[in-house]
Parts: sequence; structure tokens; C-alpha cells
Amino acid sequence: MRLGIVRGNVTLSPAVPELLGLTLVVLEPVTMANLRAKNGLGGGKSMVAVDALGAAKGQMVAFTEGSEAANPFWPNRVPVDAYCTLIVDTITTSSQPLAT
Amino acid sequence: MFLARIDGTVVPAAKHATLDGCRYLVAQRLEADGSTGPEPLVVIDWLGAAQGSTVLVSTDGDIARQRFGNTTPGRMVVVGIVDQVQTPQQSIGRTA
Repeated sequence: MRLGIVRGNVTLSPAVPELLGLTLVVLEPVTMANLRAKNGLGGGKSMVAVDALGAAKGQMVAFTEGSEAANPFWPNRVPVDAYCTLIVDTITTSSQPLAT
Repeated sequence: MFLARIDGTVVPAAKHATLDGCRYLVAQRLEADGSTGPEPLVVIDWLGAAQGSTVLVSTDGDIARQRFGNTTPGRMVVVGIVDQVQTPQQSIGRTA
């Protein structure tokens, strides 16, 4: 899972029936440099994910990408490839890059 | 699958119901030259990887589905803690 900051949401009209009723959020993925700096910035390429957890604007989430993002809807088949799996409360990293 | 170094922990405020009780770690993908990827990854761990551990991460969600059920969105799972990696250029692992 990558980390992303919720920047907004998306509504669709019309949409394929499989997506009706789902909440879609705009995410800005977070780079390691921004995560260490704790500056509230993302830095990645903006994307859209399904959110069933109720993440608010500005919150950080971890999102699953790929076919696994559609697993929560199993056995229904949905055209979803990004899904907010958890909302971050706190995240701890070493402040300096680890020596390699 | 790829190698990654553990660089932190995540405490969730909310999470998918299938993933109760999991540990979530911040991992950085390791490239062949020992550099790390630009984006942090959150991985699921039940083997007990520690800060600074080098781990093998699988991106196949099948092992997560076996453990957490068909509806889990879990995908990146720590499937092993690296003892040693030997490549012609360098050695990564616990032997520090």
C-alpha cells in the first residue's frame, strides 16, 4: 500500500452501475521525503480511490492498488483499482534515511 | 516480490474490517544498488520484522486472502525477514 493525503472527492453522473453509491476521493500520494519532513505535503501524482472508511480532507490514508482493490466487493465485480484500506492515526519513521 | 527495509510503524485510526489486529509497517523498497525507492510503502507483517530489518515483500494478495478472507484489500505482505542477500556488488542483511 502507498500512502496518500485526501485532497477532495469526486461524484459521477452518469456512472457505470457498479460504482453507484461508492465514495471516491482524490488522493495525493506521499513521498518518503515529505513523510519524513512531516510537512503535510504529498508530492506524488494525484489519483482517485474508493473510500469506505470516511476519510476527511487532509487525512492520510494507506491505499491498496491493483486487482486486490476490488476484493472488498467480492463476489461482485467492480471496476476499482485503488481502495483506501486504512486511515492513518500516527506514523513513525526514522527522521534520517537509514544507512544502506 | 521485492526487498524492502522497514523504516517505521503505522497506527491506524480506522481500517478495513478484515485487517483487525494486523501490524502495519512503513517499508522502503530496496534497489539493486542499495538505494531506496522514492515512496514509502505500508506493508502487513505478522512475522515480527523490526525497525531496520530487510524483508521480502510479496505483492500477491493471495496470502492475505488466505489469512483474512476473500474480501480483504490486503496486498503487500512481509513473507520473510532477510538473513542475507548476496549479489556481486554488495551484501545486504543482518551481518553489519
